Amino acid sequence: MSVAIVKERFSGKIGEVILGATSEQGGTRTSTVTIGGDAALPFLHFEGKVNRPVIAMEVNDIPPTWNETLTKQYGDVFNSPGAWAKQCVDDFGADLIYLKLTGADPDGENRSPEDCARVVKEVLAAVGVPLIVVGCGDSTKDNEVIAAVAEAATGENLLIGVAEQETYKTYAAAAMVHKHTLIAQSPLDINICKQLNILINEMGLPLNKIVIDPLIAGLGFGIEYAYSIMERARLGALGNDKMLAMPMFCSVGYEANRTKESNSSADENPQWGDLDDRAVLWESLTASGLMQVGASIIMMRNPAAVKVVKKNIDELMSV
Amino acid sequence: MPPFQIKFMPENRIIEVDSGTSLLQAAAKAEIFIKSGCGSKGSCGACKVVVLSGEPLVTGTGNLTPEQISEGVRLACQTMIQGDMTVEVPLESRLKEHQVLMGDVQKGLLQESDHDLLEKFGHQPLATKLRISLSAPTLTENTSDWSRLSMEIRRVLKTGEKPVDIPLSVLKHLPEALRRANWDVSVTLTDIESGITVTHVESGNDNPPYGLAIDIGTTTVVVYLINLSTGEIIDQQGSYNKQAKFGDDVITRIVYAVENEQQLEEIRIAVVETINELIDKILARQSLNNTDFSSAVVAGNTTMTQLFLGVDPRYIRLEPYIPTMANVPSIPARDIGLHMLPDALVHCYPSVASYVGGDIVSGTLVTDLANGEDIILFIDIGTNGEIVLGNQDWLVSCACSAGPSFEGGGITFGMRAMPGAIERVVIDPDSLDVSLKVISKTLPVGICGSGLVDCLSKLLGAGIIDRVGNFQMGHPANSARLRATSDDKEFVLAWADQAGGGKDVVITENDVKNTIRAKGAIYAGIRTLLNMVSVEMEMISRIVIAGGFGNYLNVQDSIQIGLLPDLEEELYQFIGNSSIKGARLALLSQNAWREAKDLGQKMTYVELSVGPTFMDEYVSALFLPHTDFSLFPSCT
Repeated sequence: MSVAIVKERFSGKIGEVILGATSEQGGTRTSTVTIGGDAALPFLHFEGKVNRPVIAMEVNDIPPTWNETLTKQYGDVFNSPGAWAKQCVDDFGADLIYLKLTGADPDGENRSPEDCARVVKEVLAAVGVPLIVVGCGDSTKDNEVIAAVAEAATGENLLIGVAEQETYKTYAAAAMVHKHTLIAQSPLDINICKQLNILINEMGLPLNKIVIDPLIAGLGFGIEYAYSIMERARLGALGNDKMLAMPMFCSVGYEANRTKESNSSADENPQWGDLDDRAVLWESLTASGLMQVGASIIMMRNPAAVKVVKKNIDELMSV
Repeated sequence: MPPFQIKFMPENRIIEVDSGTSLLQAAAKAEIFIKSGCGSKGSCGACKVVVLSGEPLVTGTGNLTPEQISEGVRLACQTMIQGDMTVEVPLESRLKEHQVLMGDVQKGLLQESDHDLLEKFGHQPLATKLRISLSAPTLTENTSDWSRLSMEIRRVLKTGEKPVDIPLSVLKHLPEALRRANWDVSVTLTDIESGITVTHVESGNDNPPYGLAIDIGTTTVVVYLINLSTGEIIDQQGSYNKQAKFGDDVITRIVYAVENEQQLEEIRIAVVETINELIDKILARQSLNNTDFSSAVVAGNTTMTQLFLGVDPRYIRLEPYIPTMANVPSIPARDIGLHMLPDALVHCYPSVASYVGGDIVSGTLVTDLANGEDIILFIDIGTNGEIVLGNQDWLVSCACSAGPSFEGGGITFGMRAMPGAIERVVIDPDSLDVSLKVISKTLPVGICGSGLVDCLSKLLGAGIIDRVGNFQMGHPANSARLRATSDDKEFVLAWADQAGGGKDVVITENDVKNTIRAKGAIYAGIRTLLNMVSVEMEMISRIVIAGGFGNYLNVQDSIQIGLLPDLEEELYQFIGNSSIKGARLALLSQNAWREAKDLGQKMTYVELSVGPTFMDEYVSALFLPHTDFSLFPSCT
């Protein structure tokens, strides 16, 4: 007896967003990355087009305070953002670089916006992949930093962030004037997510220049909330809600590596087993879980986990 | 210990009170009403007074500054009397006389529909008056006084099986009343389903019977004097509910009332006194007597009704929020202490649930909601937004906490709809110049609910705020009206030299966000209720809005800010104070009163706090007009 496969047909699809710009497009990237464009739920290839998720590896402008389980996998690169980025691309296969300008923090090194812009230029020069650039997290400082970075990298089509409901205007203006794409972050709330997209779009930034950051949580720390918010956003988008139909960015590396499970040694918690393996599993499971609900850009830190997730993506995409 | 003398300035009024009385209580005794928002907890700072002489016991200074304290400023609720004192009560601490929305008696849509409804239900008031001439008894015609009177009443009224009764209090004076009048008497009767009761016998006259329609609001109380023969509204009077001194909202008052029996009685007396003062004003103006008032219908929210009757309101506030009763037995005025005929019955509108009360049942009756197949939406916009949806076959209701914004609370220059309140705003989007319409055409001193709706819509239209209510400081007009203060951003509606209070009248970003929350709660309530009964917006054939937020409702602006559903303007009707109108209707028609009690039974109450739907709807409504633009096609 033949079985008829039931296929769900959606009226909407996720908008396509291109990151980076080649020299013909006004930038200096050797290649661009296209995300979104999905017309079905994740990896249900038989129902419609499914786009490949990409991995962005994190680079900072100053040496990181990461656990040794991460740092020992890298070479002597932490004092040179360019070299760090290059290793991520060449050795670990990162599709993009996620550059966080931690050094700008007024409570830390308090680097000037010009210094930050210089670091961005350095990383742009070191690698050919597109860049994601975010500030230090201090909203007043980040306003200046992002404006300087956006201007210095005019035409590169960076993915800049993070714009929130209270701060979106500077970011949206910088993205519009200097031709970049924007991360719009909402606190695990589909309504605020949509409201922010509307606000940014009403300022004049086209919808295909916006990427959603739904704000996720690591495995064991509320990932199910993130999952259900992302699922609702994705179903809304496929149901033709244009204001939710953007690809999603997930800061997996940050969330997974701030859990106790990714940091506590086997001496402290023998029942949990070896930390190196555990940290890899924690980050890659957080990533693959969120991939199943539509994460398009997965930000990661652990090179070994990147390898696992890339393999997982390959398998899920080989149909 | 002897009582102490407290002198209040500037009235120069002296009263005597016992040791340990608070200045707040003493002032109330002196009939000087001081604002109190927190129920005498010493936290709101509304009851500031200046102690000019005397050494009171100060139990708390709340948020007073050291300078204020050194100047003798004290909180009246935290200042206990232990000797003679002289106290000044400054103007800003006093409850002001103000205009209360008493319904548009002369004009407007409702006058027409009132009339229609009375025709529909039939004019047969809850109390009547009969002129009766009896033949005097003789040795052979020797039936008793009461039999003589009751037989005549039965004959005239064709009462059939309906019992005719007389309470002992009236019976006691019957023999004299009949003989003094030489057997030509006017008899006042209560006429309700269960029977007819004689409530007064007097010398024959042709004065009409009068009744009182009473709306007990949390903030304001309104009384209508009705000629029961003609249905005409003879007079009306409104004022603040004196319970306000125990707290602004129902929760604070419940907390006060459940402390002990004495406080429950105190809070009951406060509202009875409020009503009695209104009645007395009407009495004096119309040259009538207490005994001319033969019936009253009271409509109030559930808490107000229970406090009016002195019924313990404790469980209204506690989960699962259960009121004591839905239907209230009719009670003789003497038991309540109203200045009426002692045996006149006072009828209270039934409640549906703790937060959908008699005022809403009353409004539902007036909107004629349960009459026909058309689905009607009734919204009473106040501190609580109460919503009723349905038709002749079904009725659902809910209450959502909107906050007091539309009544002027929680808004920097918020005020109720009274002279000096801005009720319309126009902003030129290029220059940001403002033109205002102010109630009574005086200089503006504040902004009322309808002005606030207008203002939000115009601020958005002019690009001064974005869709979440953030002020846009870089507005191209570069107007001095748009400015940042140390802790907020604000827009100047009227400059000090053109304002009644001598200060710039402004609307702040915080005010805007409060209003967005208020409108969001009401719209979310509407959506949740529709969702629960699977009714689409488009299926609604009429929307009736009630509330005390202004003299009119600007439907277009209400839609622009997402307060009301985006439906054609013709479907909307604004009826002001619907609660008092329903009280009048019930007073005039036994059928209407029966229908009102039916409505109370029929209405299903939906608790919005159960399940995530309301919260989700609420967050998506915190946007101008709404996160889902498809719900507001006319706003793009």
